[in-house]
Amino acid sequence: MLDGQSLVGKEISGCEILTKVAEGGMGAVFKARHKALNRIVCVKILSPALANDKKAVTLFLTEARAIAELDHPNIVNVYNVGKEQGYYFIVMSFVEGQTLSAMLKKERVLPIGRVLDLFDGVLKGLSVAHEKGIIHRDIKPSNILITPEGRPKIVDFGIAKKVDKEKGSTKTTELAGTAYFIAPEQALGKDIDTRADLYSVGASMYYVLTGHFPYNGKNTIDIIQKHINDPVPDPSKLRPDLPGWLSLAIQKLMSKNPDDRFQTAKEVYTYFNKMRAEEQLKVKTMHGRAAIDLGIESSLKIAKEDKHSAETMRKLRAEDVYRDITSRQTKPSVTPHNPTQMPQLDSLGSVNDLPKSKPPLAPTQELVTPKKVTQTTIPSTVSAMATIRTRQYAKMFVQLVILLPLFLCFAAVCSYIFFELGKICSAYVLPSNGFFANLLSPILSGKMAEGQLLYIALAVAALAGIFAISAVRAYSKTTAILLALAAASYLSGLFTPEVALWNMSSVGQYLFSPEYYFCYLVLAAAWGLSLCWRLDRTWPERILGTALVFLAAVLSYKATVLSITPDFASMATKILFGGAILFAILTIYYMVLKAAHSMILPSICLLASIGCFWCYNVSGLAQHTQTTFSTLAEVIPMADPTQEQMQRQDQQNELLGIPTVQLFSAFAKTKAINYMSEEEKQKFLDNAIEEYAGPFIDQEQRPLFKNLLSIYYLSGPSKASFNIWDYAISYPIDNFNRNAQTNNAYSFLVVLLFVLAGLNCVGGILFKEDL
Amino acid sequence: MSSFDIEFAAVTDIGKIREKNEDNVLISSDLGLGVVADGMGGHSAGEIASSIAVSVLAETIRKINSGSLQIPETFLPKLAPTERKLLMAANLANAAIYSTAQSSDVYKMMGTTLTGVLFDKDCAIAVHVGDSRIYLYRDGKIIQITTDHSLAMEHVRRGLLSKADADRSKIQNVLTRAMGIKKNIEFDLLKFPVKAGDILVLCSDGLYKGLTEQAIAEILGKDKDMPIVKLCKQLVRTSNERDGQDNISAVVIKILAPKKLTFGQRVKKLFSRAS
Repeated sequence: MLDGQSLVGKEISGCEILTKVAEGGMGAVFKARHKALNRIVCVKILSPALANDKKAVTLFLTEARAIAELDHPNIVNVYNVGKEQGYYFIVMSFVEGQTLSAMLKKERVLPIGRVLDLFDGVLKGLSVAHEKGIIHRDIKPSNILITPEGRPKIVDFGIAKKVDKEKGSTKTTELAGTAYFIAPEQALGKDIDTRADLYSVGASMYYVLTGHFPYNGKNTIDIIQKHINDPVPDPSKLRPDLPGWLSLAIQKLMSKNPDDRFQTAKEVYTYFNKMRAEEQLKVKTMHGRAAIDLGIESSLKIAKEDKHSAETMRKLRAEDVYRDITSRQTKPSVTPHNPTQMPQLDSLGSVNDLPKSKPPLAPTQELVTPKKVTQTTIPSTVSAMATIRTRQYAKMFVQLVILLPLFLCFAAVCSYIFFELGKICSAYVLPSNGFFANLLSPILSGKMAEGQLLYIALAVAALAGIFAISAVRAYSKTTAILLALAAASYLSGLFTPEVALWNMSSVGQYLFSPEYYFCYLVLAAAWGLSLCWRLDRTWPERILGTALVFLAAVLSYKATVLSITPDFASMATKILFGGAILFAILTIYYMVLKAAHSMILPSICLLASIGCFWCYNVSGLAQHTQTTFSTLAEVIPMADPTQEQMQRQDQQNELLGIPTVQLFSAFAKTKAINYMSEEEKQKFLDNAIEEYAGPFIDQEQRPLFKNLLSIYYLSGPSKASFNIWDYAISYPIDNFNRNAQTNNAYSFLVVLLFVLAGLNCVGGILFKEDL
Repeated sequence: MSSFDIEFAAVTDIGKIREKNEDNVLISSDLGLGVVADGMGGHSAGEIASSIAVSVLAETIRKINSGSLQIPETFLPKLAPTERKLLMAANLANAAIYSTAQSSDVYKMMGTTLTGVLFDKDCAIAVHVGDSRIYLYRDGKIIQITTDHSLAMEHVRRGLLSKADADRSKIQNVLTRAMGIKKNIEFDLLKFPVKAGDILVLCSDGLYKGLTEQAIAEILGKDKDMPIVKLCKQLVRTSNERDGQDNISAVVIKILAPKKLTFGQRVKKLFSRAS
């Protein structure tokens, strides 16, 4: 089979093929010279791929013959149809000139009068074809040729028909007609009549006048379905200088139901001519001018960048509508345009409100000030986008000015309430108790200090407020920070009641002290955890997370570093140190992964890493205490219980009926100390420590060792070493609490959290689209 | 490979009025694969397109199974291996048709539908483009697994056309997706569990134009012990009698419970799997 190019130079039906002009799916179009007439003609050859489809061929020939019978200046003349050398061909007159779509591309904007002239010809040509029962099926600007004299000629008559085959024929991926101009009934595959062409005329006029397709979408199907379903767009929204009657006539042509359209092409052009005549008459009588110059009307401006604010734009639109004689109830709205697509016109107006049978009204007022109307630039995509952006900024501004201070005030009030509560509860704090015991003592004491009830109520209210805020999407991320803020304020009040919460006088000199490192650690760990708790991390988040984990590891080391360095020779210390490093690396590994398999795993690793560093740092203290204690326990002589003490115990047992010593002892209580009363024991231990350890245990640590010794003898050595570790691990926190009295570490932590909450909120407002 | 025993049968018929059969079917029990392709385009382009589709699909799967063709690691790494295999094969088939179509004017408009199903453990994985269909028959009920990629169905999905209107519509032949039309096309990949006793019917549009879902279900449910080759023939014959305007093709796949193996066979299977 020969391909299209090889036809050049051949002769078909007495025509010498000169050059290929165009090629489409259906076949190729060639410029040819009719030898007998010595005249340039146009030869269309049916694609060889379709030449075997009998039905397609039959339709191709019948339609072409029917058109050959039509002799109309607005329809391309067909001279000959047939089959030669295996090719199906049509010989047509060759039209110098260009298609309407090419002309539109070149000139961008066509004057309304010119467009009406052109479509007058198109409609006249269609009218003749329709009378013969021929439907074009694919009216579109690229099927309208414009001769150099400016006369329109319809081409491609019925070519589409052969594709739109009967049921049961082979399939295709192409639909007769062009998506941008297709009539709804045609798109639905229903039986169509001549009125489908009128719809396409309407859609083509819309396109030629506004420069935009009536419907646009992400794909062909989308566009086709919009033709079926979406409200008819109003062309005057895009071209405000369009006379009201014309805009309505186009909308009438584009009615979904064929019955609502003009019924014949003749009806359309008659109406157009009548309205134009009336318009000219009106202008003549009203202004005494010769006639309105529709032909040289000021052209359609596509505003490049609109400098109007949303307000002036709205005003302009409002004036526009006021002038609009068609008294449509459209709202002056500037709706968002999708910047990547052409504006979707259906979103611009509420055309559905229009009663469909309403006849278009004659223009009256609009023509009084036609110039002014055309001066109002139409809202282009760019300017509409600018408006939307302006609105977004305005919204952001409102949020920054009103919501942010509100939020910060709330946070401040919360922390104040919790600080006061902590201050009241500080009455229960005993210096000899551990950190956690002190934390729980206000709850366990069962007493109520003055004002405590009130502040508990306020604190509960504040907590409720925090959780209520989390329900508002905007602040959900700050909930955790607010809770931390409340906790820090409470601790501040509990352990440093004498230091005012807002006292930041001596911060500068302590910035690199272990207590402050602890504050940094809390922030880094909290932030790191919040990043762990995210499944799909972006690159910046991953980098930040990794940095935070690294920072947390370093800070946990710095915050807990003690004067007694860990003994690295011991196996436990090595394991702890190795574990800390391993967990830190694991966390960083999980951070670098885009989507972690679990949110909990990296969080646990991070916490474990911090915990290991902590234990590693205090292990020196623990070991030192352990050694001291062991020596002490060894050197203090413990007398065996005397007969008298044993007897007294027996008496007690008899009284109770149970052998208490055996029942409660995990450790063989063979020493006299077990049988002493509480006062005797205290006295004995005081004396023993004074006597044997006086020189090398300082006054501060004596209560600790006294306590440990009594635990040692009452509950055994393992309990004692547990307590030693407990002491060592909570030592940095106790130390923190002790020092916080002087260096305001709690105040510092509270302020840091406060700033973080504020930053988080600002970031949320500025960078989150869903706000 | 599937954990079930699977029987395949395939029949294709030219219909009453067509001069050519543009449909192509392929079944392969060693691959666990059944395919129907319905070609389009003038001349013999339709036949060529559909035959390229089924042969490239099967050949690619065979090559991947034997290891002579590797799926690139970047190719849809999130999918299961069998799904990747099937999609890879379908993509290669599309590329083959597209390049053939571009090579000559005669083939320019050619394209084909493709509906194939591959079995993996207790699941069937289907790749689908165009208006051929897969029906699943289970316990006397029949459902259509695939969605047609036709303009009419697109309208039905958007509620613009009723299902009944769509079946009569002129645009039901207008495909919104087909193989060979574009360089890269989107395939539907469907995965659904099957169980013993299920019957899958893959068919071209010729079959369902002549037979309603109900009619297919009736034929399938009439005699449980009828060999599926007979079932398949009967489906095609009945459809041809009632309509016959188009080529008619059907692949019938029956899922059977795995046979009880003797101890020796099990040991053998264990070792063969290990190797």
